[in-house]
Amino acid sequence: MNSTQVLDTKGLSCPMPIVKTKKAMDTLNSGDILEILATDKGAVNDLAAWSKSSGHELLDHKEEDGVFKFWIKKG
Amino acid sequence: MANRTAIIASNGSMFDAYKVFNIATAAASADYEVTIFFTFEGLNLIHKEAHKNLPMPAGKEHFAEGFQKANVPSIEELAQMAVEMGVKIIACQMTMDVMNLKKEDFIDGIDVGGAMMFLDFAKDANMTLTF
Repeated sequence: MNSTQVLDTKGLSCPMPIVKTKKAMDTLNSGDILEILATDKGAVNDLAAWSKSSGHELLDHKEEDGVFKFWIKKG
Repeated sequence: MANRTAIIASNGSMFDAYKVFNIATAAASADYEVTIFFTFEGLNLIHKEAHKNLPMPAGKEHFAEGFQKANVPSIEELAQMAVEMGVKIIACQMTMDVMNLKKEDFIDGIDVGGAMMFLDFAKDANMTLTF
């Protein structure tokens, strides 16, 4: 997927993946896609809830070698 | 109307600090308006010195290692982050008087006020949490 920016939160635990995602998203424009890498297992449900709550669209997510990848389109 | 989260923090251990600041920063990340009222032992969580070295609850000291392994941010970092993200912090004036504490004893960016200041925010909150 064509990401505008990649944010690496590997090794960080709750609430840091969400906090850093919020800060990164604030620098992007509507329609941009933020790719997030995380190892926090809680981030799977947290980022889905955050996207919904903040008006963004979680396009896709998958796990690769213990790293979760998310693509969120800014609303 | 924006979501509003009103939090009362009235306990002073490290566990309490994580409960309060994790919820507060997560809510702020989703653009919720957040106000935390720190009262009684809760004042430890924003005290300049005390919040750097909060006690583990009695009998739970062995979790210190788990905190390191999980790579959780320090309370000092979380508190600063909360302020930067616009979380409003109110230190309870009455408790400060009882404990002989001044505004300068606390981290930067806080307000001092009474119960009514918190209630005025909480009356329009759709979530009120107590820790």
